[in-house]
Formats: sequence, structure tokens, C-alpha cells
Amino acid sequence: MRSNLRLAAIALGLTFAATGVFAQAPEVAQRVDRMKAVGGAVGQIAPVIRNERPWDGAAVAQQAQTVATNLTAAKALFPAGSDANSRALPAIWERKAEFDGAMDRAVGVATNLAQLAAANNEAGFRAAFPQLGQACGACHTPFRRPQ
Amino acid sequence: MDATARDVHNRKMTRTPIVAAVAAFFVFAAGAAQAQDAKRGEYIFAAAGCAGCHTDTANNGQLLAGGRALKTPFGNFYGPNITAHPEAGIGKWSDADFIAALRQGRRPDGAHYFPVFPYTSFTKMTDADMRDLKAYIFSLPVSDRRNKPHDIGFPFNLRPLQFGWKLLFFTPGAFKPDPAKSAEVNRGAYLTQALGHCAECHTPRNQLGGLRTDMMYAGDLNHAGQGTKVPNITPHPTTGIGSWTPGVYEDLLATGLTQDGDSVGGDMGEVVANSTSKLTPQDRAAMIAYLRQLPPIDHRVRGGN
Repeated sequence: MRSNLRLAAIALGLTFAATGVFAQAPEVAQRVDRMKAVGGAVGQIAPVIRNERPWDGAAVAQQAQTVATNLTAAKALFPAGSDANSRALPAIWERKAEFDGAMDRAVGVATNLAQLAAANNEAGFRAAFPQLGQACGACHTPFRRPQ
Repeated sequence: MDATARDVHNRKMTRTPIVAAVAAFFVFAAGAAQAQDAKRGEYIFAAAGCAGCHTDTANNGQLLAGGRALKTPFGNFYGPNITAHPEAGIGKWSDADFIAALRQGRRPDGAHYFPVFPYTSFTKMTDADMRDLKAYIFSLPVSDRRNKPHDIGFPFNLRPLQFGWKLLFFTPGAFKPDPAKSAEVNRGAYLTQALGHCAECHTPRNQLGGLRTDMMYAGDLNHAGQGTKVPNITPHPTTGIGSWTPGVYEDLLATGLTQDGDSVGGDMGEVVANSTSKLTPQDRAAMIAYLRQLPPIDHRVRGGN
């Protein structure tokens, strides 16, 4: 009887551990989707910069706006401790202000790019585009677990 | 004053300013040369990525003051202070000491370095680049931060054993250009091998920590025993990066952007920020030319490299 109780307690504990500690927060899948949308849009713009595809100001503006919108949404999807089953590193919450600042800078770069493209300022866009890769790296380097 | 005395006096009068001017010129020239060396050294410093392991960036550590933990299968190493502080750093080192460290993996007291310090790559640097690098490091602010002892288990903690490791896995000597290859490819080889020390992470290691020379740049499935994957950067069409156009390489090295719109993070993010983004476009093009002519090796590290 006592050993059964003990087993039950252990099982209960394990269940809590599984759901409470190791389970993936719903925000994880949501932010992964947002970041995939960001990557998809950047992946559309990069070949234009490499002259592998022709410049189309309206299309590029839309893609840059997709980056800004999804980054803004993703920023709100990092509740404290949501690093289980995720590449998010605990450093995000240890240095939250730095993380939020890096996110804001990336949004700012993307918004600026969207405006340049909307004004069909191809030269300006090309000159500013490297800032986006740098802004992405500024978050991925300290805050994302390597594969 | 008789004629002879006046002559001597005149000669002295004219000579003194000349001597002073000549002396001033040498002092100026030496200072200018030193400044010039340090300026060249700053570029070598970026290309060689010294800041990464010797700076505890995660804890806002001072540049080159050391303390960063480097996890390996043999234990944890802590990057040492290499600022020019005379006691805590390398301030007492001569040029010869500095060159012996990089070329031979040898400490000024004769002890062997552990190969976590990639002297195995830096050995290929030219003497001139090593001297300029030292000039730059010695121009930076010093730190009195004491080194943290490495946390490694027996018997790997025995430095004399490193002598055997060197016999097995280390070939000292400066880079020798391959006359069969273009000047650009040779420059790229120097940047990739000697300075960038790219093979140290992108090549798998054997059980004793030596690079597997049959798998150069073919990627590592379990980097530093930490379970992380380092991609195959040979031009293999499916398991390497043979499908990349030169522009994709350039985007990655210049800004960290990948072909699929992601951006590199972690260690490679640091390499881009500290190193490859600071190279001239010509030097990046040389690295790309070198990487693209490597023998392709079929080694799948992860899906869709």
C-alpha cells in the first residue's frame, strides 16, 4: 500500500514534470511560425540584392513589411521561461532588455527597408540591406541555441 | 675666438640641429612605423578572430581580458588574459615569445599549449603578420584580471603529454603558397587556414582531438562534444554548400544571412560579427574562391545544409 502510494506520488511528480517543466509553451510554435515567415520574406529579398532576380519595388516593400510585422508579433511571444523544446536560450530572460532592444532594432531596420522599397529607392535599399543580416545576427548569436 | 675655434663652434652649431633632426626623425619614424604596424595588426586581429575566445562577452568582459569558458570533451578551458598587462597578461612577452606561441604552441617558459588554442592553424601565419598582431594587441587597454585555471581531467591536464600530441597532429611552419593555384586562391587559403582557422570547427576530430585530415571542412556532427552540428562547407552539391552561388557565400560572410533567409547565430554569428564582416570584399572573395575549389566531401551533417 505504502509502496503503491509512493509509486503514485512519483507518477504524479513525473506528470507534473512532463507538463509543467518540459512541455512546450504554445507561444513556441507560434513564434517559430512568425520567424519562418520572416526567413521566407528575407529569402525572397536576398536574391534581388544578389542580382539573381529583378528589382520590383512594390514586391520588395511588401516582403520587408512582412519581416517587420512578424518580428513585432514574435517579440511578444517570449513569455518568461518558454525555452523548453525550443532553441530559445535562457539568456533571453536573463538579459530581457537587451533582447527586446535587439528585436526593436531589427523591426526598425525592416520598417526602414519597407519605406525605401515603397519609394522605389533601389540604391538606398541596397545600401541599407546589410543592416538586416546584422540585426538578425545580433539576436541569433547570443540568444539562440545552435543546431 | 681664433679661426680654428670659430670653425669648431660653427660646426657644432650646425651639427646639433642636424643630430636633433635626425634623432627626431628616427623617433618619429619608429612611432609612425609602430602605429602603422598596429593598424595592420588590427586587421589581422579581426581576420584571426582573437576576440572570441579571449573575451568573456556574455558577462560584458573587457576585450582580451579572458575568462570565457570553452567546453570540450576533455573539460572546460578558460580563455586567458592576453592584454599587455605585465603580470596578468602577456605584457612581458618579446616578439620572439609571441611568435613561439603562435608558430610552435609554446609558452615563454617552454610549456606546451593545449590545442584548444588553435596554434595548429596560426602556425601558418607569416612572421610579419604575427608582429603586427602583437603591436595591435599591445596598443589596447590592459586588464589585471587573473587567469582562471582550466578545469580538465587527468591525464589530459598533463601539459608534457601535449608534446606527444604535437608529434602526432601538429605540423609547424608558415603557409606556403601553391604555385599551381591563382594568387586569389592562395590568399583565400591563407585567410581560411592561417587566420580564420575555419578547419578547427568545420573538420571532425578523432578521439585524441586531432583533426581528421581526410575530412577537411566536411563538418562535425558533435562539435566539441556538445552535441552541436557544424556544417559541411566543402562544395559537395547535396551534403555541402556546392549549390551556393558566390553571392550566397558573400551574404553569409558579410552579414550572416543564409540562403534560406535565416541568419547564422551562435559561434558562427560571432565569427561573422568579429571577423568575416570586417574583411575587405576582396579578401572575402578570395576566401570564397578558395572554399569553392576544395575537394567536395560527401558527409551529411544536417538536412538541407
